[in-house]
Amino acid sequence: MVVGTRDATLMPECTRAWGIRIGKDRRTVTIFLTETISQKTLKNLRENGQVAISCTRPTDHVACQLKGRLRTVRPANQRDRAHSQQWHREFAQELVAIGVPASVAEAWITGPALAVDIDVTDVFHQTPGPGTGEKV
Amino acid sequence: MGPGVIQLEDLWPCLQGMIPAALSTCSADGTPNITFISQIYYVDSTHIAISHQFFNKTHRNVRENPLGCAMMLDPRTLQAYRLQLRFEHSESSGPLFDSMSLQLQAIASHAGMTDVFRLRAADVYEVLCIEHVEGFTQLPTPPPSELPSRLFVDRDLELLRLLAEHLNQSELLGDLLETSLQLLDEWLGFHHAIILLADERNEKFFTIASHGYPENGAGSEVGFGEGLIGMVARARRALRLSAIDHSLRYARAVRDRAEAVAGTEAVCREIPLPGLPGAACQIAVPLVTRGRMVGVLAVESTDPLAFMPREDTILSIVAAQLATGIEQLGRDMEESAPAAPARSRPARHTGPPPRTRNFCFFHADDCVFVDGEYLIRNVPGRILWRLLKQHRDKGRSEFTNRELRMDSWLGLPEIKDNLESRLILLRKRMEQKCPDIRLVPRGRGRFTLEASGPIQLSEKAG
Repeated sequence: MVVGTRDATLMPECTRAWGIRIGKDRRTVTIFLTETISQKTLKNLRENGQVAISCTRPTDHVACQLKGRLRTVRPANQRDRAHSQQWHREFAQELVAIGVPASVAEAWITGPALAVDIDVTDVFHQTPGPGTGEKV
Repeated sequence: MGPGVIQLEDLWPCLQGMIPAALSTCSADGTPNITFISQIYYVDSTHIAISHQFFNKTHRNVRENPLGCAMMLDPRTLQAYRLQLRFEHSESSGPLFDSMSLQLQAIASHAGMTDVFRLRAADVYEVLCIEHVEGFTQLPTPPPSELPSRLFVDRDLELLRLLAEHLNQSELLGDLLETSLQLLDEWLGFHHAIILLADERNEKFFTIASHGYPENGAGSEVGFGEGLIGMVARARRALRLSAIDHSLRYARAVRDRAEAVAGTEAVCREIPLPGLPGAACQIAVPLVTRGRMVGVLAVESTDPLAFMPREDTILSIVAAQLATGIEQLGRDMEESAPAAPARSRPARHTGPPPRTRNFCFFHADDCVFVDGEYLIRNVPGRILWRLLKQHRDKGRSEFTNRELRMDSWLGLPEIKDNLESRLILLRKRMEQKCPDIRLVPRGRGRFTLEASGPIQLSEKAG
């Protein structure tokens, strides 16, 4: 899962997120970022709130992109951490399925995480091929 | 990017398309976009390319706001790197596009989706900076690349590949010679070069093409075993003379001789060999194919250290290509269809009004003079005389190599007649001495005699 933001000069930034959870209202999502690799992303989010999130499944490239605006950035709670760890385990299995050694896939540093709540404004198909980019 | 900073070449494992990269862009109104891309292609040390297959948001965004940010993973350890990018241009033809397109089509045909995955363009981005993303994985960063030399082709090697492709595309001997000299200059830094061909008996070599000299020197001769060129021909080995001592400056010696005769060239039937004043460095390479000596390629420079083993190697590779091409294109070939409707035309006239050209043929040595100056002799002399008489008597301007071969007066040998090279020689001598009268190739085995002004012919016994 990758996250795109931009600064005041329209310079884009990207980073990796360690999991996503869909809100109960299905209009918000929570993504998990680590401060170390996402400093610029967090700064951009706090400045202008605009964000694009792309989720893809490595084994079959099925993908979608969410667009949204920042609601809050907060330290991950126990429930968030459990969700992120579960996501990492499942994602590592996907990576192993495409040939990445398990020890490599599991070595990613996913904590301490910040939970970033996003109001989703649009959802787009992003699976490669004709029709990619269409609104869902 | 300064020293100590990560170079694009260090990221060779990330550039193999093993793990998709992320690319974020931003529209002019400030909406970010992020997508996965299957492969980032290395272009050069400061540029990468991204395939553009489908019209999408990335494609639109970078045309509004050229900035981008890519994140790549090293497939060995999943170390992450961030690249700040600026969209520079898009290519829909050329070597980069072709190689990306072929790769994409091969993958698409594996998946049975040839029509779907079609490369529209290669979008080329400048790499503004590269950042190693700290705190991404617990694994240590692998040492810098162990084998980048196998992945990033040396510039010279790449240029030689392109040059070989161009030489292979030449369908006419004249094109082959001109292309090779021009590309040796533009791409590989050999600014002064000549190609000499062997005559049928391998006794002499005559200049057929030159580049980087005020006079083309076509038709100038070097004897077998004479000077650097002649010695290289005899030894059949390339020879480089760097920081040439005055006593070894063959070209100068020849040129001095040429200068001595230049004023009398009108009566002396000798053409000066092209030579660089103060040449301090020369290489001559024999043109040999399948054991047959077809000529010599010679280059020179005023810089005493211009040529090193690199230059020897490059020239030897080019010489092998050239020799095979000369041998192949010099053979008797069926003429092609006329390239364009031929017109006998007083064309391309610029400058002073057309002057009458007086050609005189000397029967004693088959020598043609134009306006009192030596032009050409022997077989090319007879060929020219035949063409000019046909032009005057029958109004002809279209000729074929075949009819020249059938013409017993010309005395061409039955095999290996070198007709094509004799015609090139004749054409170049005319460019030098009477540029308003031209032999213009019209495809393989055909040519046109074009004259911008009137021609008068006369003959003398000796």
